[in-house]
Amino acid sequence: MTDTAAQTRERKEKLEDILVVDCDVHVHESPKELIPYCEMPWRVALENIKDVQEFYLDIPGFSPGTTAYEAKFPSGQEGTRMVHSPEQMREELDGIHVDIGVLFPDHFLKMPVISQIDYAAALARAYNAWLLDRWCDVDRGLLGCILACPQDPEDAAREIRRYAKEPGMVGVFLPCAGLERLWGHRQYDPIYDAAQEADLPVLLHSVTVIHPVFPFNTHGFETEFGRHICSHTFSMMANLVHMITTGVPVRYPDLRVAVTEAGISWVPFLMHKMDKEYVERRREVPFLEDKPSTYLKKMYFATQPVEEPENPADLVTMMNLYEGEDNTIFASDWPHHDFDHPAKVHQVPFTNEVRRKVFGENALRLFNIDASGNRLNL
Amino acid sequence: MTQGEKRREAHVVGDASDFPEGSHRVVTVGRRQIGVFNIGGKLYGLPNVCPHQTGPLCEGRPPLGTLVSRAENGWRFEWVHDGEIAVCPWHGLEYHVPTGRCLAYPSINLRRYEVVVESGKVKVLV
Repeated sequence: MTDTAAQTRERKEKLEDILVVDCDVHVHESPKELIPYCEMPWRVALENIKDVQEFYLDIPGFSPGTTAYEAKFPSGQEGTRMVHSPEQMREELDGIHVDIGVLFPDHFLKMPVISQIDYAAALARAYNAWLLDRWCDVDRGLLGCILACPQDPEDAAREIRRYAKEPGMVGVFLPCAGLERLWGHRQYDPIYDAAQEADLPVLLHSVTVIHPVFPFNTHGFETEFGRHICSHTFSMMANLVHMITTGVPVRYPDLRVAVTEAGISWVPFLMHKMDKEYVERRREVPFLEDKPSTYLKKMYFATQPVEEPENPADLVTMMNLYEGEDNTIFASDWPHHDFDHPAKVHQVPFTNEVRRKVFGENALRLFNIDASGNRLNL
Repeated sequence: MTQGEKRREAHVVGDASDFPEGSHRVVTVGRRQIGVFNIGGKLYGLPNVCPHQTGPLCEGRPPLGTLVSRAENGWRFEWVHDGEIAVCPWHGLEYHVPTGRCLAYPSINLRRYEVVVESGKVKVLV
């Protein structure tokens, strides 16, 4: 059980003195940027859309968007922050006290909604090559995740093996927005095989889309407020339930799994709901050797968008409910609209020991890297 | 007048021409950053720190209007406070500049700095 700082009465360590590993920051990929990295004939399609107007995570033929459905009132809070270069990223992460940033895409959060399988796979290959070439830089503390294209799992596995020994690649990104078959489906076994073999963790990340598949069939909401909650949190719950009920954590015991951009308060809920089902339905999930929460607690959960209860100590309580001291990881989601400044998580009355774990030490274990970002498994 | 107000000092932050109607800019007074807004010819000062996550709330886009919905109008959406709503560029919390009121949280009211023009100089009272 984690104590709160009030119980231990120790002097709180300053944010500047703590190693901060940020498990979710976003690079801005565009059709134009990827053209040189994309194979024919798909390069022609990218050239054809390179000058179309871009909305937030919304480019026709690249990242089908949700901006078309509603009245667009002017707002001071439109998603216009983008990071275009590693130099800009380093400078901005310095500004929020982040030492190491783990890179995810902007538009390709929506990779699963691309309907052409070969196009999706080609975009994923182009992105991975571009990311490694332009962005990944251990000395700058910028580390990449290999995008695994769910439409073509065999190709995704090849991509993981291609980059398995790259010092700048530290994980595998499993996109969730609009995902047709949830990440527990056996069709993805080649991805898990390759990730486990490479000792690279897989990280689930969703985003808002309106799409027929659960939980993205959100056309019933009249607001982004509603869609945004479901698109992230429900997607994570659905994918983790599916992964656990198809035995992924048992069949791949050395595979490390992390969840981003869903906050943490749902973790105790899911843990208890699964354990309750397990009592009467164990025979449906005969892979499992223990109650489902055993496996859930081995996964890693990123803080952002961190819940902001009136009593910040409630976050310590929520973490205690899933024994989250060793598997909660900090993420800012920079530069997106709902990013968390590390100062917000720094306010949580953790003990210094737990604060250091959440801000950095747990992530070092997840990615199997040292405090300078060097992979320890090469 | 309270004792606190008596102690306020006027700090010159620029010429009146630096703050034309419709403009907003952040000025530094001692260790404070203060956003000065000219709305309809009247000057308002607000702290450039959002109480949510300390975002630079006065460095966003020029003030816009916003949407409200009220029972007396059948709960229909209305566009109100046109040109008076500052939005924190970090997470979008909205503030009514003339009153300092946060639209999302009735308990949050920003400190308002009085801004005056004397002899062509803009002064913030702190």
